[in-house]
Amino acid sequence: MTVHALWVINKAGGLVFSRSYTDTLPPLPLNTVLILAGTLHGIHAITSRLAPAPPPGAPQAGLESFEAEGWGGKVFLTPTGTKFVLLHSIGHAGLDDLLKRVYEIFMKNPFHTPEMPINSAQFDTRLQTLMATVNA
Amino acid sequence: MSTSLPPPPQSNPMYSYSTNTSTSTISGPGSHQRPLSMRDSMSRSPNPPPAAPNGAGAAGGGAAGQNILDRPLNKTRGSEVALASWAFMFAEIVSYSQSRVDSVADLEQRLTTLGYETGQRVLGLLLLRSAQASHMKDPRREHRLIPILQFVHTQVYKYCFGRPADGLERSVEGEDEYMITMNQPPLTQNISIPKDMSQLSCEAFTAGIVEGVLDGLDVPARVTAHTVSTDQYPQRTVILVKLDQKVMDRETVLGK
Repeated sequence: MTVHALWVINKAGGLVFSRSYTDTLPPLPLNTVLILAGTLHGIHAITSRLAPAPPPGAPQAGLESFEAEGWGGKVFLTPTGTKFVLLHSIGHAGLDDLLKRVYEIFMKNPFHTPEMPINSAQFDTRLQTLMATVNA
Repeated sequence: MSTSLPPPPQSNPMYSYSTNTSTSTISGPGSHQRPLSMRDSMSRSPNPPPAAPNGAGAAGGGAAGQNILDRPLNKTRGSEVALASWAFMFAEIVSYSQSRVDSVADLEQRLTTLGYETGQRVLGLLLLRSAQASHMKDPRREHRLIPILQFVHTQVYKYCFGRPADGLERSVEGEDEYMITMNQPPLTQNISIPKDMSQLSCEAFTAGIVEGVLDGLDVPARVTAHTVSTDQYPQRTVILVKLDQKVMDRETVLGK
């Protein structure tokens, strides 16, 4: 029941934020993480087209979660197109709530330019606190 | 209906203070923006006609969607604004202001000006509500320095931020300097100041509110906001109130 990492992907598919919270997953070079995030963005775009007849008015939601051996990922799409991706251990409960909490502390900072990398120390510290309580 | 019952002047403490004795550093021309209200009725016009603010007489016609100016002034419950909405609006105010100034000092000045106008309205509203809470019997308006500062520390902060400030101290450096401390100021908790603007404190807005309230109570002061981080509270903010010499002279004359 741990959260390994958090990615924030902007609506163009660029990785604007990524943090690791455990050492379980092997650390990857930043370029690889960027490629993975871009790939995930592409898969998400494709999967959002897969539904044969989406209910009228419903947002085009794509990939919501994926699982691999020993770990999984959960994707949360905001109305503005920003995606939050949590990499977590299998069988993690309450991920939806957690992603909403992360979304809550995201943004609202006048010194941040939308779609650009997030360099807010405060966002970072507050996430650390949140993840520390989850991983405890 | 809402224009009935203008209260006799002596029982209406709301307008007994004068706003034209200001010696504050806020200049008039800079205040062209409407203050954005944090609560229901802060965006009322600065000089409402004397009969209009009588919320007790204007209880009728409470239909939803009516003009904000026609809403009853004494209704407090359910008129709070969500902090997230505030955070988004304040973020926009800051970035709007930022695009129109040259320096950090100018930006703080703009925020202070906005807060000042808010403070003036907060004061009127709070005095009216406290008078109404005591059923117009013995309406009070503080005139001594310490009760005024306690009024700011407790009532104004409680109205604006939901809880009183965490501390009110007199500065060790001067008799005329007081500090109002808030460990986690709610208004700016989502704002992360970039390194190249480390001098900036967006709590300048709060400083403006305090200045507006003090000025309305005829305690002119220069109010500034400073972030004084501690390990436990990285956003701890001190609102520094430097009182005008006039106030100190008056306190001396009034004595104990």
